Amino acid sequence: MANRNIKVEIKEKLHDGTLRSNLERFSEQYPTARAKAYANVESIEALRDDLKDMKSYAVAHIEELADEFQASLEKRGAKVFRAKDGDQLKQQLMEICRENGVHNIVKSKSMATEEIKLNDYLEQQGLHVKETDLGEWMLSVAGQHPSHMVMPAIHLNRKQCAKFFSDELKEDIPSDIPFMVQTARRVMREEFLKADMGISGANFGIAENGAIGLVTNEGNARIVTTLPPVHVIIIGYEKLIPKVSDASKIMRLLPRNGTCQRMVSYLTLIDGPTPIIHEKNGKMVEENKKVYAILLDNGRLKAAHDPVMKEVYQCVRCASCLNVCPIWSTVGGNVYGHIYSGGIGAILTGLLNSLDDFAQFSDLCIGCRRCTTVCPGKINIPDLIQELRNRRVAQKGLSLPEKLIFQKIMTNRKLFHTLLRTASIGQKPVKSGKFIRNLPLFFAKMTEGRSLPTIADKPFRDRTNDLFKHNPASPKMKVAFFSGCNLDFVFPQTGESVVKVLQDIGAEVVYPQDQNCCGKPVIGAGDLDTARKLAKKNIEALESANADYIIAACPTCAETLEKTYKELFVHDPAWLKRADNLSKKIREFTSFVEQAYEKDKRLKVTHGKEKITYHDSCHMRRSLGIYKEPRKLLESAAGYDYVEMNGADQCCGMAGSFGMKYADLSVQLLNRKLHNIKESGAQTIAVACPACMMQIGGGLDKNAPEIKIKHIADVLAENLSD
Amino acid sequence: MRRVSHEWQKYLQKGFIDKKYWDGFKENAQAASVELKEVKSYEDAIPVIEGIIEDVKASSIAAVGGDESEKLNNIYKNLEQNCKVYTDKFDIAKNAPTVDIGISVAEFGVSETGSVCVDNYSYEARVTTMLPPINIVFMNKNNVVNTMTDAFAILENVFDKGYTGFVTGPSRTSDIERVLTLGVHGPSRLILFAVDGME
Ligand code: SF4
Ligand code: SF4
Repeated sequence: MANRNIKVEIKEKLHDGTLRSNLERFSEQYPTARAKAYANVESIEALRDDLKDMKSYAVAHIEELADEFQASLEKRGAKVFRAKDGDQLKQQLMEICRENGVHNIVKSKSMATEEIKLNDYLEQQGLHVKETDLGEWMLSVAGQHPSHMVMPAIHLNRKQCAKFFSDELKEDIPSDIPFMVQTARRVMREEFLKADMGISGANFGIAENGAIGLVTNEGNARIVTTLPPVHVIIIGYEKLIPKVSDASKIMRLLPRNGTCQRMVSYLTLIDGPTPIIHEKNGKMVEENKKVYAILLDNGRLKAAHDPVMKEVYQCVRCASCLNVCPIWSTVGGNVYGHIYSGGIGAILTGLLNSLDDFAQFSDLCIGCRRCTTVCPGKINIPDLIQELRNRRVAQKGLSLPEKLIFQKIMTNRKLFHTLLRTASIGQKPVKSGKFIRNLPLFFAKMTEGRSLPTIADKPFRDRTNDLFKHNPASPKMKVAFFSGCNLDFVFPQTGESVVKVLQDIGAEVVYPQDQNCCGKPVIGAGDLDTARKLAKKNIEALESANADYIIAACPTCAETLEKTYKELFVHDPAWLKRADNLSKKIREFTSFVEQAYEKDKRLKVTHGKEKITYHDSCHMRRSLGIYKEPRKLLESAAGYDYVEMNGADQCCGMAGSFGMKYADLSVQLLNRKLHNIKESGAQTIAVACPACMMQIGGGLDKNAPEIKIKHIADVLAENLSD
Repeated sequence: MRRVSHEWQKYLQKGFIDKKYWDGFKENAQAASVELKEVKSYEDAIPVIEGIIEDVKASSIAAVGGDESEKLNNIYKNLEQNCKVYTDKFDIAKNAPTVDIGISVAEFGVSETGSVCVDNYSYEARVTTMLPPINIVFMNKNNVVNTMTDAFAILENVFDKGYTGFVTGPSRTSDIERVLTLGVHGPSRLILFAVDGME
């Protein structure tokens, strides 16, 4: 893959009206349609677990399954090849073509053949190849690539489609959809009838009997595998499953998730050579078809033996992770790799192509985790992406400015904080250049759609002496507050609110001054060595506080302290133990306070004058699983009337350095959020995450200054008597 | 006719089928655009098919399964009065691309999805069901299983080689602007006769 300018491509996509409205409409309708398809199953979770377990068994036994699949097919009279990569597969296929005197080929959809650009090759060899899936056919005519694994042509409108029809058929085809479909039927039928070979992929291959399963709505795969006298199956190792009955584990989820259908029109199961009746030497004869299967490796076996990345075998290519992805649904699939799009596409590209290709668009996952809530195979897409990022950094190192900031500045707390303080006075020097982009406070250049906050005159850490004078005389517990950079340097007043609320529930609050950035931006960039240094400093600082609990009012900090530190030290037993002890004391602020209020019976639903709504931070909702608690607190906040807004759990577009690197895209996500906030009619939007507060606050400032944004700590503190 | 199994019924009767699954099957099949006709007997299907022939001005039909069912065979004989009916596999192979209607059989239905399981080992069964614009299918109304899990539990027993699978409504596409359009490569109409007390 040549070096691409992803930013330019994104800009183009953001200005492609057809694409934008198609995707927007689709991503709005998808969740409801999916839920409807699942309405008659008892537990989606149970089905997802079944699928995940079956597929993880398969990957653990991949060689045995491949041998069994091959033996089963050979026993039934098919020929089986193994191809280590695209080149080998092409040679094997050409050999089959020569042996059988093949000239005309029909194909039903196969991602694996697109991955190795098979069609281009076959055409170069002088063969006549036709895609038969309508969407794929239109794209092949247009010389475009699929933008979605299930709906390849979702970025086109009917006029564009009609043009491709007209160009290909050299007739004037009107942009009438049924007419176009009928035309495709007519044209493709001729191709089917004259084809010498049918090439299909496989949605699954069953080891115990050698059968493959093909899933289509159009029925093209059935004709591709019926009419031509030769059938070639091109199947990736990841498609192998042990038993016939395992197929149902895929089929109960794949159509529901992929196309919101309870079942596709045609689920076809083919096992070995089947009869064909055709004319031979002027006579009708019945004989067996010739069947070949080629098992494609191309990086798959290596992935199967990779303790982390083997999870990709749980993918059934339903594409639902794209359907819910805020980035895909804004820019479409074509800005990712060429074949596989979305977060899973980034991963597959990294495994099947190279880490360099991966790195070109790996930033387009903002880690919002929405995909993990729907993926049938329960793949932790953002975690696998992070793993690949880490590996690339280990391989190639960081870029120079990142290296300087992470390794020289951030690990030196005094220097780092001095720079931040200087920033509050100067503001200017820090705002420019790459330096700022990599800081944990993402207050780089102003963009059109939002204002970015400034550094406070007096950071939180300098305000603690006064605050702690109000600690209760006979405290019920001792808590250490971990502010994180944002509450320390950008929103210190919110830090004050946090302390007041905690004191009010009877806590003595302390602030270990040696605490530093939790390390999340460094971890996100893949610099785990520096992250470990920061983690050790923080663990030491927090241990010394000797507190009962450690409270973070930033979900990202909470997650990092509670979960990620342990992962950082898996190979270091002494520090792992300390990270584990620390982890047990970490509490996210709103859930901690909600529990205390509940105990003190302070949670009574009220309907005050001012309407307030709530935005879920991605990390809070999907990593920490906290979403009920903040709502309960708001419902009982005096003076407010809680209303729920649409898309409350959709990412606001901040997402770490992404918000800066892809400013245009980030603002698109933000605008969607602002629209929903306005629609809710709320005068105040509450958040529990300072990064969301920065992003949404910046957007409101520019677009709807009448709406206020508050951290829940601020809302709660308002109602406390000083 | 060549088949994946001659023992579908034996396995279906091992506790998989029940009349109580009919309602779910009906709802899901209709949601998938299956034209469902419940009939008391085979003979009752004749006038309905004659009506279809007249409607679409059909002149020829490909029909499979008559070799295994006397009653089906009778229907085909009956229809010959109105239209050309191909039942020989070579005739079917030759004429399937141009016939107006294909008639075939299904082994059982799946309540959860409205799908029918088809045994299509024979070439003539495949072209009959896929090439003509209309596919008429006969199924025993009592042969409905609950879920896809059950359906594959049956296949686990009977599917050793050949060509089988599930059909859920007619051929469809949403590839242009996500507008649902029926009948792209396969039939645009799937008419299912569910026959009461079929043997
Ligand atoms: S975590 Fe969010 S941004 Fe990343 S792939 Fe999943 S849905 Fe898309
Ligand atoms: S990663 Fe999951 S959601 Fe995405 S295509 Fe694969 S199975 Fe579907």
